[in-house]
Amino acid sequence: MLGIEDPQIVAAYLAMIACTAACIIYGVSNWNNGGDEDGS
Amino acid sequence: MAVSATLLGTFTVGYLIVISLLAYLGYRKTKCADDYMVCGRNIHPIILALSYGATFISTSAIVGFGGLAGQLGMGLIWLTVLNIGVGILLAFAVFGKRTRALGKKLGAMTFPDLMGKAYGSGFIRKAGAMIVVVGMPLYASAILIGGARFIESTFGVTYNTALLAFAVVVAIYVVVGGLIAVMYTDALQGSIMAIGMSILLVLTYVKLGGIREAHAALSSMSDLMPEGLAAAGLTGWTSMPSLGSPIWYTLITTIVLGVGIGVIAQPQLVVRFMTVRNDRSLHRAIAVGGPFIMIMTGVAFTVGALTNVYYLRETGSIALTAAGGNVDSIIPNYINAAMPDAFIVIFMLALLSAAMSTLSSLFHTMGTALGHDLWGAKKNVTSTHKSTQAATIVMIVATIGLAYLMPANIIARATAMFMGLCASALLPAFALALYNKSPSALAAKTSIVTGAAVWFAWTAFIHVKESAALGISSFLFGKDALLAMPWQVVDPLVIALPLSTLALVTMKLWESRASLGSAEQEVEPF
Repeated sequence: MLGIEDPQIVAAYLAMIACTAACIIYGVSNWNNGGDEDGS
Repeated sequence: MAVSATLLGTFTVGYLIVISLLAYLGYRKTKCADDYMVCGRNIHPIILALSYGATFISTSAIVGFGGLAGQLGMGLIWLTVLNIGVGILLAFAVFGKRTRALGKKLGAMTFPDLMGKAYGSGFIRKAGAMIVVVGMPLYASAILIGGARFIESTFGVTYNTALLAFAVVVAIYVVVGGLIAVMYTDALQGSIMAIGMSILLVLTYVKLGGIREAHAALSSMSDLMPEGLAAAGLTGWTSMPSLGSPIWYTLITTIVLGVGIGVIAQPQLVVRFMTVRNDRSLHRAIAVGGPFIMIMTGVAFTVGALTNVYYLRETGSIALTAAGGNVDSIIPNYINAAMPDAFIVIFMLALLSAAMSTLSSLFHTMGTALGHDLWGAKKNVTSTHKSTQAATIVMIVATIGLAYLMPANIIARATAMFMGLCASALLPAFALALYNKSPSALAAKTSIVTGAAVWFAWTAFIHVKESAALGISSFLFGKDALLAMPWQVVDPLVIALPLSTLALVTMKLWESRASLGSAEQEVEPF
């Protein structure tokens, strides 16, 4: 993929993108949750 | 220095003026110990995300580990996976929310303070503080040395002048403005770092003819791998090392697991979770922090590996050879040789920012550990931010002194060692404090002592890179490492963390069973 043949390196890049996407999805979907002072 | 002195000087002066203004803002907003140590628990989520990321990523992460990718290839991207998945997502969503709530409930102002109050144990508070006061100066002085070397080569001043000027500038805003100044300046520095790294990635792919072309060119270079590295397991720059080879063990255990997991129990990062008012701020910070780390280490490791293509085309040799065999020179040499002048200035400010943001946080954490957790506990009085300021000055002076004594090639090793020690000794007890309603102080103490002792024993007698440097094993037993391969290249964290976790679980179960037994005895008469 994109000039990289070793599936372990391709997997690393895909996992990096997946983790970043997970951070964005988690953060955005909980954007307004836990907003009271106690955070509960 | 390739870039014009006027351009560099103008940007640097402008940068220092903005840093001074932010430090003054921190000073104006700091009214009490709560402000000085946890920003009044009211920091903005974007500032939290950038500050956490900028503290997490030092110059060593970009230059040291980026250069390592130039030598070992794209396998380092697995570290970025852990940096984001563990260092941001798991750290904020699992540990961060509990840390914030518990810190607020207990009125904790530092990581050792949080641990001590959660367990109701002065020993645990002091043990945590001692790890910071004794271990962190090694890490801080390594960052200080790295920053001073960078300033020396960039601005053409002597090493001693660079070291003192760097330490004094950071010291002033840490001491005067406390954590508010540290986090405000971190946010600015994090922004500069993100801009610098984004431009670096784009210009590198443009320079090398496109994404696919650059990667394909790097893949085709595998037969140029130096003999020594190939014999140790390297198969190319776009492929993983051979499974079970010495380089595979180093890459997976020391670099990916050691640094990737080690970040969770870092006192200077944990305290940041206590600076926000609610969980909403943590959620928002995750959305910013994940992409930030990808832009930092993801870019550094990718560009680091790709420098080989650039050097092959320009000089006919691989990056490591072009850098004279010095891994730490690969990234700076590449920037100076391949990038336009205006970008060199931005990248230099980004590296300066990376060093300053990490160093300021370490100075602050050491100062609060000494002033609040050790002096405050000894005097049995509530520490003020004045006493913490005094303690911070003491720790800064100690760090500067140590920087003059330590060898220059210790930077990356000191970073990995401090992270390994923190995780091995503190992570299981930290997790128990957050997730158990009645955490056992005995289990925590056993785990902390086990983790620290095993980590030290493995470092001093088995892990050959450290044991050979320390010389204790050689002095006592006449050889650098007591075990054979592959144990010599297995990182201490990989052994010490499971054992400290096992110690914690065993003691917790034993205590639960003992208390159950005594409860049964009590109800027998009925």
